[in-house]
Amino acid sequence: MADVLLVDDDKRFLDATVQLLSLLGHNVTAADSVAQARDLIGKNVYTHLILDLILPDGSGLHLLEALPAQNKTKITFITGHPSIKFIVKKLYGSNISYLIKPIDLQQLESLFEVNTAANTKPDSLIKLHFNYLVGESAPMQYLYEMIERVAATKANVLLLGESGVGKEMVAEAIHYASQAEGRYVAANCGAFSRELINSELFGHEKGAFTGATHRKTGVFEQANKGTLFLDEITEMPVDLQPNLLRALETQKVTRLGATTNVDIECRVVSATNRTEQDIAVSGCLREDLYFRLAVFPIYIPPLRSRKEDIPLLVQYFLAAFNQEYGGDIGINDASLKRLMDYDWPGNVRELRHAIHRAYIMADQQQKLLVLPENLTSPFSKVTPQPQAGIRVGKTVEEVERELIESTLEHFDGDKKQAADILGISLKTLYNRLNSYGNVEL
Amino acid sequence: MDGEKNRFVHDLRNPLNTISINAELGKLTLERTGDIRKAISIFDTILAECQQCSHVLETLQDTQFTRGNNGDSESEKR
Repeated sequence: MADVLLVDDDKRFLDATVQLLSLLGHNVTAADSVAQARDLIGKNVYTHLILDLILPDGSGLHLLEALPAQNKTKITFITGHPSIKFIVKKLYGSNISYLIKPIDLQQLESLFEVNTAANTKPDSLIKLHFNYLVGESAPMQYLYEMIERVAATKANVLLLGESGVGKEMVAEAIHYASQAEGRYVAANCGAFSRELINSELFGHEKGAFTGATHRKTGVFEQANKGTLFLDEITEMPVDLQPNLLRALETQKVTRLGATTNVDIECRVVSATNRTEQDIAVSGCLREDLYFRLAVFPIYIPPLRSRKEDIPLLVQYFLAAFNQEYGGDIGINDASLKRLMDYDWPGNVRELRHAIHRAYIMADQQQKLLVLPENLTSPFSKVTPQPQAGIRVGKTVEEVERELIESTLEHFDGDKKQAADILGISLKTLYNRLNSYGNVEL
Repeated sequence: MDGEKNRFVHDLRNPLNTISINAELGKLTLERTGDIRKAISIFDTILAECQQCSHVLETLQDTQFTRGNNGDSESEKR
């Protein structure tokens, strides 16, 4: 049960909310002005303060100053528009909650779920980058720098990387880092049926086609002022891609069956597990669309190139499963070594599944994960690694040269970056390039 | 223009909010207390707020008409 002080000048709202909170079992005191509230704060101690920002005799913000310095009162602002969050957060820090009108029961109840809210964060010992990403290795540090840079701009991003590297996590991290006003909306282009793809992307009006019984907004509109994540972009039928291109070029969408268009302003983060070369050769993505989407391409490293992050990731997943199942399971060094020796063709997703399975099989006496005899998944053999040009019969020198050249190409010839990622010194890189005899120094 | 628009948004959002809170209150009242008399008075509040929304929308319609003919002349509104 909480002691709540509710401050709002809208009498009907005040009355109903007082009754609602009382029915939920809380003690509620109501005030309709800053002066009255200030008076009450001086005399009583409240666990929760819920207040309107704008009151007839001043701003609700003034009440924060009236609170005693070391108070633990939970502050909640009632606001009509989510954008107010950003302004108040700048002024008073993020330890403030919001009720966004129209307020419903779920929103109100969430204010009092103190314990569960504190528990939802998985182990705080592991640093999360941009709220989503785990790892301290050099390839990840480079990725973080890319995210930070692109977040400060409005550029569209194309995420490249193998299946399971966490493209959706990176997309959410970019959204988080850019502090966008709007929402993050994810859509999988490979999952849409051919007939519905335009309606999913751009929406439709009631009656636009048989079965369109309601008006529907598309993902572009839903993500306005935010981030739209288009996964598996290369699986979108090529003949339907011009519509997407038009929307990106004009920054307007027209719902199917509508006569007017809607302005949209959102960052499009698209993703594919094909390589840039494969995209170019196979023709699965129109060239003009590619350049619109890949203003800023970001390559997400596979897990085997950052094996030093495996212990951190294991810890992170263990903490999450321990929390989910209310357990206390750990891992011994031998198991961890086996996880680090495996090359994870399915990347972080496969690692997570392996931990989950080992968690279910865990030795409850010793409280330790139990790994299966054989880590390889059925997919690890079936799925060839498309971009690795390694074949039996190639010499080590040939493979090395190919690796160096394609890395350089990826970084547009930036030798410093290529050397960093390859884990060799700049001098070594120059020496190698010299020996190939094709470099302009 | 923007100030005018914001006022309309505000004038609509507040009654909608009261409707939302009262609808939740009505549900909870019936679920927990079964007090029908109380529930009816809550529904009356909701209906009154709907009227209020409708009134705001009517004013909005008139305003847009005026704006269409006279640009953003403030004195023509209301």
